Amino acid sequence: MTDAYVVGSGMIDFGELYDKSFDNMLEEAYLNLLDDVDKGVDPKSDIDAIWYGTIDFANEGMSGAAVGHALGQFGTSTTQIVNACATGSDTFRNAVMAVQSGNVDVALIIGAEKMTDATEGLIANAALQRLWRGRGVTMPAYFGLRATRHMDEYGTTREQIAEVSVKNHKNGSKYPHAHQQFQCSVDDVKNSPTVSYPLNLYDCCPITDGACAVLVTSDDVTNEFTDDPIRVAGSGLATGSFQELDDQALSHFPASRRAVSQAYEQSGLNPKDIDVAEVHDCFSITELVTYEDLGFCEEGEGGRFVEEGHTRLGGEIPVNPSGGLLSKGHPIGATGVAQIAEIYEQLRGEAGAVQVDSPETGLQHNVGIGRNATGSVGCVNLLERP
Amino acid sequence: MSGPRYHRTRRQDKRLVAFECQDCGWVSFPEAKQICKRCGNAPASFEEVKLAERGEIQTFVVQEYLPEEFEGPQPLAIVDLPQADGGGEPARVYGLLTESNLEELSVGTKVDARFRELFTDGERPINSFKFSVPRGEK
Repeated sequence: MTDAYVVGSGMIDFGELYDKSFDNMLEEAYLNLLDDVDKGVDPKSDIDAIWYGTIDFANEGMSGAAVGHALGQFGTSTTQIVNACATGSDTFRNAVMAVQSGNVDVALIIGAEKMTDATEGLIANAALQRLWRGRGVTMPAYFGLRATRHMDEYGTTREQIAEVSVKNHKNGSKYPHAHQQFQCSVDDVKNSPTVSYPLNLYDCCPITDGACAVLVTSDDVTNEFTDDPIRVAGSGLATGSFQELDDQALSHFPASRRAVSQAYEQSGLNPKDIDVAEVHDCFSITELVTYEDLGFCEEGEGGRFVEEGHTRLGGEIPVNPSGGLLSKGHPIGATGVAQIAEIYEQLRGEAGAVQVDSPETGLQHNVGIGRNATGSVGCVNLLERP
Repeated sequence: MSGPRYHRTRRQDKRLVAFECQDCGWVSFPEAKQICKRCGNAPASFEEVKLAERGEIQTFVVQEYLPEEFEGPQPLAIVDLPQADGGGEPARVYGLLTESNLEELSVGTKVDARFRELFTDGERPINSFKFSVPRGEK
């Protein structure tokens, strides 16, 4: 068993990238990664294995062969990971486990999604293709159900939920790779068109194309790539469903709670140790309940926690300094990998205008929806300065 | 294919038939199962139970932005449907709401299961239950 380290990242500017094909995005992320690694990477000999994350929303990236085509890596073993909106973070997690096992010294993780090429949007996909078991539950509805319940159970206000979006758009406007580069107010969020009551347009992440790559290495070879690596301290992955009949699942995500428990146990870290976090905010309410799921605040206190500014830049635990999914965008397979890249930058002090003050430990989290909106999958990765 | 997949659970959907795990009490609806998804017993022992038509809203949304094929708004809830004999645990289900004023909806509102056309698959109607606030108790 060896430790695994992140030694480089390659992010592309997220957005509506009509001019770039799926392969173009993979190329750009990979080239940015090769540029980013302090001591360089030889693309022809250094990479032992590749983990590739995409749900292949646009139907052109299925199987590891897609990476062979895009990156000229046909000879390198390439595994595709698909795990709903946790695809990117689980792709990273699987590569880390291979490195920790000692079987792989250098792993490339690359995630990508072309969301805007699909003829049907996510909402149509969720409602129509799987209408029977899902019974017409759209994505915003799935998360909106948590908002209604959280407001009823804990007295959380509409304004508090909106504060998540306000914060993340403010951060995103300072983060160069973010799709949405504008700020908004609580009133803007409240007055934007209703998507699924109680959630409005500005409570929802945009439809975004993107890709991101990171490189993970073992103890034996890490110093061949950088003198400033970031250690993977722990990971967790679990699923859950409101059909388990635990009332907490009506407002929260048991999958996130289970995943973060595994990660805290594996790393010996606890919520108080976390200095910066990139968490899943596909909708504003998702981030608010995630504060509670990850233990950043007490049960039911998420609304107050964001309202009082604890998760802003400069707060006690800045959450989503990159702007999160709400501002940066949510190209599914790329999302989790990009969050890893952002935590990596933060821990190395390279996050520019959104840099948190000297963080030592960072948390990355996704929660995805699966099985026709009846279940969720949570994934957490913890990174730290060694 | 001998028929559309949603026909597999037609009997349960029409009659509100569910299956109770005899080990932990969890109620599966509408799928008949051999393994309990909550306690993990495999195989688990299930007994058929009947669900009551009246349940309680646990949480809800009102879907406004929908694909063109759907008329908005489409209110939707998670509803607990108790067992008809009053014993055991409820089944927790998704359900679209119909024939109800949006102002009447809140966590805790009682709703009745009504057999309705849920959607059409382009060729035929797909029938199952929707929920509505009971008339005469408004």
